[in-house]
This record gives sequence, C-alpha cells and structure tokens, in this order.
Amino acid sequence: MLSADVEVDRRDFTVRAALSVADGERVALFGPSGAGKTTVLEMIAGLVTPRRGLIELNGRVLTSTAPPAVAVPPWQRRVGLLRQDPGLFPHLSVRANLLYARSAAGGAELDSLAAQLGIDGLLPAMPAQLSGGQRHRVALGRLLLAHCDALLLDEPFAGLDAALRRTLTALVSHLCAERGVPSVLVTHQLTDAQAFASRLAVISEGQIVQEGAPDEVVLRPASRLVAGLVGYLGFVPAGDGLVAGVHPDRVVPGADPGRGLVVSGDIVAARPSGAGWEADVRAGDAAFTCRLPGRPAGERVSVTLLDAPCFGPDGALRDVTHSRSSNPA
Amino acid sequence: MSAAASVAGAAVIWIILLGPVITLITRMSPGDLASALTGPGDLDPLITSVESGLVTLGVLILLCTPLAWMLARGRLPFPRVWEAGLLCALLLPPLVIGLLLVFMVGPYTWVGGVLDWLHQSATNTFLALVIAEVYESAPYYVLGATAAFASVDTRLEEQAGLLGDPPRRVFRRITLPLAAPGLAMSLAVAWARAIGAFGAVVIIAYHPFGIPLQIYTTLQETGLYSALPYALILLVVALPLPLAAYIWSARAERRRRG
Repeated sequence: MLSADVEVDRRDFTVRAALSVADGERVALFGPSGAGKTTVLEMIAGLVTPRRGLIELNGRVLTSTAPPAVAVPPWQRRVGLLRQDPGLFPHLSVRANLLYARSAAGGAELDSLAAQLGIDGLLPAMPAQLSGGQRHRVALGRLLLAHCDALLLDEPFAGLDAALRRTLTALVSHLCAERGVPSVLVTHQLTDAQAFASRLAVISEGQIVQEGAPDEVVLRPASRLVAGLVGYLGFVPAGDGLVAGVHPDRVVPGADPGRGLVVSGDIVAARPSGAGWEADVRAGDAAFTCRLPGRPAGERVSVTLLDAPCFGPDGALRDVTHSRSSNPA
Repeated sequence: MSAAASVAGAAVIWIILLGPVITLITRMSPGDLASALTGPGDLDPLITSVESGLVTLGVLILLCTPLAWMLARGRLPFPRVWEAGLLCALLLPPLVIGLLLVFMVGPYTWVGGVLDWLHQSATNTFLALVIAEVYESAPYYVLGATAAFASVDTRLEEQAGLLGDPPRRVFRRITLPLAAPGLAMSLAVAWARAIGAFGAVVIIAYHPFGIPLQIYTTLQETGLYSALPYALILLVVALPLPLAAYIWSARAERRRRG
C-alpha cells in the first residue's frame, strides 16, 4: 500500500496531492503538461523534497516533514521509476542492465520475464543496438526484476507510436497487476491512462480535482475544468442557466430528443478525422467540436448529445436528465 | 574530384603537423641512440622524468578528480569563479609559473620554512620537480575530467540510485565507467604535459635533470645533433600513454555501440 499526502511549492503554483494506492492497484495521474504530475512522482521516489507531507509504503515511512522528520534516501526506498527516457546503462549489456539491481534474481526469473517481455533473444546485445520499444521493454524488465515495492511510471511510452504505446501499456498494466505492487502512471494521454489504470486521478495546477473509475471520470466529470481536461470540446446552453458538455465521441448525428440533448448549429469548419469527420460547430454564442460518421452535408447540422453532463454557473456538475433540445441560434 | 582534393588537402596538413616527428626519425640512427644511452648515468634523466611523471599523475588523480567531479555536478558555489581560476592557471605561461612558484614555495617563504622544518625543500629537488609538473599539467586534467564527468547523464545516476545503489556505488558502477574514456584522455594529456614540462621546471627544479632539461643542457653544451636522441626518448616515453588511452577510448565507444 502506497500513500502520499504531499505539498511542494513550484514557481507558478503549489502542488498539493493526496494519493492512496492499494497493493496491485493501478492509478493513473492524468493532467496537462506542467500540472505537477511528475513532481508528485519525484516526491514519492525521494528525488524532490516536499515542503510538507507524509509518504508511506507498506507501513514504512519514506518521507515525513512532521517531527521527527524522515527522509529515506532514494536508494533505500525500493521504489522503481520508469521515465520516457528508458535510462539503460549504455556500457552494460541487456542482461547486465536487467540484473543491475542487487536484489535482481537471475536464472529462471530472468528467462521467464525476458520471454514475457519479448526480449529473450536480446540478452547479449548492447542498448545502442535496440529499437525504442525494445529499450522500454528492457527498462521495464529491469524495474520488475529489482522487486520494487512500488512502481512509478512517468509517461514512459510518450515518444513511441500509438500501436506500440498501446501494446506496452497493456503489457505493463498486466505485469503490475500480476506482481501485486501499487503502481502510478503519469500521463497526459487519456487513452493511455484508461488503458492502464483501475483508477484515474485528474490533476490540474498541482491539485487533484477528481478521482474515480476511468469511465466514470470521463462520463461524469465533476466540473467544467475536469470536462475540458478529459476531452469535452465545447459547452452548449442546456436551459435553467446550465451548460452541457460536448464530448466529440458522445455525439450522434441528427435530432433524437429521446436519446439526449439536441443541438443545432452552423458548421464553421470540417476535416477528416480517423474513419470519420470532425466538425467545428457554432450554436449561437456557444461553440463545440463533434465527430460525425461522414462528411457533413450542408452548412447546418443537428446532433444529439448522449448523456451529456451538465454544469451549473459555478462550473460544478449537476444531475440533470435530458430529453429536450437546445437551439440557441 | 572535390572529395579527392579534400583528402589530399587533409593529408598535406597531417604531414605538416607530423613534420617534426618525421624529421626526428629520419635524422636519427640507432647508433646515435645507443651512444647517447650507454654511458654511466645516461638513463638517469629518463628515470627521473618517468618517476616524477607518475607521482604527478597520482597527485592529479587523488586531488583533481574530486574537484573535477564537483565542478561537473555543480556542487561548488560560484562555479564561474572556480572555472576562471582554472583558466587562469591554464593560460599562465609556464616560465611565469616557475617564477611565481619560487616566491610561493621557495626557501624564504613560510611554505619553504615548513618544508625546511621537515628537512625538505621545494627548489632543486624531486619534490620541486613534481610541484612544477603538477602546476603545468593540472589545469589540463581538471578541465578534461570535468568535461568527462559532465558528459555522464545524471538521469542514469539517478536511475542507478533508484535501483538500490548508494552514491559511492553509483559512482563506481555508472559514473566512473561512463566517464573513463574521457578521464583516460585527460590523464594522457596531463602525462604528456608533465613529462615535457620545461618552463616552470627550469626555474624551480633545475636539478635533478629530467629529459626536457637534459635536452636543453645538451643543446647548450654539445649542439643540436647530440640533443636529438633525448628528444626521441621524450617522444617514446610521452606518447604511449596518450596512444593507449586513445585506442582504449575508441574500443570502449565501439563496444557500447555493439
């Protein structure tokens, strides 16, 4: 069990995060670049000292600013950190890298993990001979063989192509669950966070603004701020001073009041997106972006927002059921 | 055509740079070398130079390596001041270093007094020779070693720490092996500077003779030709370490590339 309640000052804002991760649980810390996600991980790893805080791992106090102050050095924390740069030691072979940690076991465990990671044929190779994906696999294997008590993943696959990222995220998620260690992934890619985590924590300007199951956070964002972070591309009036969030993937073309809020507006721009089209729509003073199955015909469009979350003037989520139309134009 | 011209141009510059070495080899016969080295005491300057050079290297490794590491890792306050001091030592003409060393560690200074109390002297002794060689070679070693340490990615050290290694072990397992090729090259340059030190040596450590002073006195007393065998010996003694360092660095780099 990993728990961290930390506070540290940054130039623009103060990072305040309280996080608790059970054994085998996978938490994704999701937020935009510069939100303080990496700082939280670095505090847990002991690379950054919090101004105030308490970090515990399996009942062991790693950091405590309350007297008597405790600051266990990084090399005694048993916390593994995997970054975007896999950080393989260039003068050591893949095998030596994998067995770098003194606690790392060789023999059967090395062979089995190497096979699981698909790097069993690369053990004598040097890191410079590996592809980007292979380096990440080796770095992950090194971390797992070190038998850390917690795994911290700082956007480890951000530089890789989407398919490889998906494969590696699924692999790391599976291995973390199998090992039963608490693990935290930091990412600004919602799809990575959803693929990895059993729980999602959204962070903005150093504050965790919502925590919950990944689908729950996306479908029921606690505020307009969270909605914007998890991919809602616009808000339209929904009556009674409320606004409804428009998620491009939660829109169906045509007016179907039985299924949700209907919005009509003028198409400002349209472009191909994936297998369909993406359109920027202006509805009165409101603007939003939605995905459509095909090229929009004409200059106006009506769409139905499926189960759109509504927010009050204070930006907080309101429980509202839609079966009406919003046509401010 | 232009590629061939470039190669030819490079070759001309290379030959011009190697000109003194080529001249030395073509002007010498094995007989000259044998006659210069077979007399009693003829090998003394060589032994003095090698011994003082090795002691100098030991001093540099012990005292200057930690300084280089601290400079590279920004562990010292006001780093620009430290760097400026090193550059100052580097740019000071060796003759001036020798002159100033007399006023710093000579017999009439407080350092000289302490040394005298210890029955030692920092002028015209082996100790004086080592001091002069250290002053002439240290800036080259510190600056090179600083660059070698700075080239090691601190994230690798951080990663090794997170994998359970305390700082000393990280230094031994990561920092040192990765900086080693650069350190070896810096040490080789320092060796060449130490073994060939003349400017400071001629003022503060005229005795015992090392090879550079042997060349100088032979030149003064018996002419150019008689000095050539000693020039060759200096070259033979000074070159192997830099060459070995270069070959070892290249092999280490090749091994890393796989």
